Amino acid sequence: MNAIDATDRHIKSTDGPPPSLLAIILDTNPHAWAHLSSILPLSKAVASLLVFINAHLASGNANEVAVIASHSQRTHWLYPTPTLPTPHSTSTSNGHDANGTVPENANKYRPFAVIETAILSNLTTLLNSTTASSLSATSTTQISGALSTALSYISKSHIRHSPVDPTINDHSTITTPDTDGILGQQRVSLTSRILILSVSGDLANQYIPVMNAIFAAQRQRIPIDILKLAGDTVLLQQACDATGGIYMAPESPQGLLQYLMMGFLPDATARRALVLPSAGSVDFRAACFCHRKVVDIGYVCSVCLSIFCIPSLPDSKCLTCDSHLSLSTTLTVTPALIPRKKKKRKRGPGESATPAGSSTPAPGSGTPTHS
Amino acid sequence: MSASTTQALEYLEQLPGATHKRLYQQPSTALAVFRCMLPHLAKTIVMAMLYMTGPFPVHDLDAWIRTDAKAEKEKAISVLESLNIMAVIQESPKNFSYRLSSGFANSLKQALTGGGNHRSFGVPCSTPDKNKVDIAFLDQFARKQWEAILYYMVGSTSGLRDSEVLGQSVGNGTRQLLRMGEFVSVLHGVKITKTGFTFLLQEVNAQVWSLLIVYLKQAPGLGMNEVDVLSFLFMLGSLELGQDYSTANLTATQLQMLEDLNDFGIVYRRSKESSRFYPTRLATTLTSDAGALQNATTDFDNALRSSRAGRGYIIIETNYRIYAYTSSLLQIAVLSLFAKLSTRFPNLVSGKLTKDSIQKAIGHGIEARQIIDYLSAHAHPQMQKNNPVLPPTVMDQIRLWEYEGERIDTTNGYLMKDFNNDSEYRDLVNYAESLGVLTWKSDAKRLLFVDRIEQISQYLTNKKKRPDQ
Repeated sequence: MNAIDATDRHIKSTDGPPPSLLAIILDTNPHAWAHLSSILPLSKAVASLLVFINAHLASGNANEVAVIASHSQRTHWLYPTPTLPTPHSTSTSNGHDANGTVPENANKYRPFAVIETAILSNLTTLLNSTTASSLSATSTTQISGALSTALSYISKSHIRHSPVDPTINDHSTITTPDTDGILGQQRVSLTSRILILSVSGDLANQYIPVMNAIFAAQRQRIPIDILKLAGDTVLLQQACDATGGIYMAPESPQGLLQYLMMGFLPDATARRALVLPSAGSVDFRAACFCHRKVVDIGYVCSVCLSIFCIPSLPDSKCLTCDSHLSLSTTLTVTPALIPRKKKKRKRGPGESATPAGSSTPAPGSGTPTHS
Repeated sequence: MSASTTQALEYLEQLPGATHKRLYQQPSTALAVFRCMLPHLAKTIVMAMLYMTGPFPVHDLDAWIRTDAKAEKEKAISVLESLNIMAVIQESPKNFSYRLSSGFANSLKQALTGGGNHRSFGVPCSTPDKNKVDIAFLDQFARKQWEAILYYMVGSTSGLRDSEVLGQSVGNGTRQLLRMGEFVSVLHGVKITKTGFTFLLQEVNAQVWSLLIVYLKQAPGLGMNEVDVLSFLFMLGSLELGQDYSTANLTATQLQMLEDLNDFGIVYRRSKESSRFYPTRLATTLTSDAGALQNATTDFDNALRSSRAGRGYIIIETNYRIYAYTSSLLQIAVLSLFAKLSTRFPNLVSGKLTKDSIQKAIGHGIEARQIIDYLSAHAHPQMQKNNPVLPPTVMDQIRLWEYEGERIDTTNGYLMKDFNNDSEYRDLVNYAESLGVLTWKSDAKRLLFVDRIEQISQYLTNKKKRPDQ
């Protein structure tokens, strides 16, 4: 009754949480899956993932999903199929495009069926196109490419969801360089997150691109969740930590579905109400720029902050910025260890906090005045 | 959960447990209830429990949810319990656990995996239709039918010359339904009621649900099976627009419904004998986000474009001037209920919100909140960039105009008194507050007033059963 004042001005939104876009990066590295096959074959993992995707879509009516395979040498879209001119999430557009291919099934909710068919057929295409020669070339996965693909897809979706119709003023929205400021002002119309289902280790050779992707995600406030089934953890753990995502390395990968459903299904709105699993101690080590090795102690260029693992650089020049950097000279000098000064005994209560003779100007005396 | 489905939820909650059980046998119903009836946190809880091997201990759930989200948790659990989706079971004297109802869990699992042979997501026609209709036609049909209903309601009050003619095509059954739901009164010609106004200012999705709930309530009187009606509605929500479905698997009740739904514009059948039907956009969005649906009165073609953009048409300035980019008679009629319109151009109507016009609307039974909700829901995209969407001065003034007329607010409800001690009183106050049913309280007298009692009494019985909590 008496609530007519400025505080009551905001309309209570009854619309529920904003739609959530989940970009899933499935690591399809054949080497790693071959290694895992006795515990959790890829087919089972994909089946669990499909149930998880359906659960995500059911959790919000406007929820969207994007699935990217990070294969040994390239990334591959699993859903939406890239040949579509406009990959909308609405069931109408999907229905149009996939009418011919999706079998009619009265036992399945149609949007689920559409996505499932697309993912499975794209995954089959990907696996069939993998040759023995491409397998032997590398044993790791193209995680950095997949991350950038996911990030660009998310930012495209953000533009599509903004309240102003992008088709009306295309140019002002897309070409504005500082999206951060704009996104902050707009009402949140879409929350996004990235889930990486990772099985490969040895990602240090992609240190720079992955870190750049992490910083981009951090800037756009996109959490990166990691479900690590196998392999080492260095880089991805940092991704979670920097972006506020969830990191999990389950001991028994057979229970993949339950991990997904309980740990990774809650979106940003639900996470505010939940106690999230903590990552424990995070490995913050970096990889060097010269040999892509994870280093405990390295050398840092004083100009561009590049990291190197060895002091002997060619021509004493930084590999990144080409400025003079003779690291070897620093080696000979043992760093002087200055013993810490013992603190004086407690001062009396009336004494000034500034010790006598310090360079801090006394209040009033040193204030510069404009003449 | 969006506003449009709140009333459907209220209806579902008051159904007996046996009805729930029979409803959840259909995977499509279980999925639709999950998708559109549950609060967000409840969905999270259900999904976490769905593939859990055992029951979920109460204190584990408490540990999982942060303490500052207690209100949301209480709400989620009370909805889940009142829909008989989840129940507390006692494992040992000290241990209580939550368990999903097995029928619901199985159906939801089937819906997620697409297994089983229940054929509850609609049976598509195997043979191609000779006279196939396209989506544009279906949209056209749905809009024509639905707008006719709205015209019929708004006709006499808006004072527009040609509006009564437009409402003539409404079927007799629909007219009766509108009267039963107290949307219109037909004492001296058709006159819209307060409930009718509330109905009119809702989003189209909420309108459809309101009408369907009236329909549901009178269904048993017509010899229709409530469960059949409900599961058919939920099934309609999961169908594909533009696809023809066979009537072969439907029960007698559902065949009867098809005719009525055809009148509303929710499904399309070429004739009463046709063995196939097409769901329209009104049907396929029954269980999905209201935001994804274009208001039926604006151009349906726009609905095909991206979800949120381009749905609003009203601009309001801080000087109370209002500009509506529309040529739809219905929208103009609705606007004229609370705005003083002065000029009409081919694609634009302009006018002003005045004290007279607002108070006239309030005299008809429209609330200030409804007007503000309507204006902000249909605000032009350029206005939607602002936060808040409407100019604050306009919102305040509309409220003040309403406040001038009413000094007393009445709420029906229940007074709780005679508490044994203060902690018992506080506990119940906190619970009532978290449910959002607390209307008034007096700490000194240990009195509280709630507008709904079911969940409170359930809580008290539960508390009696387990004194440790």
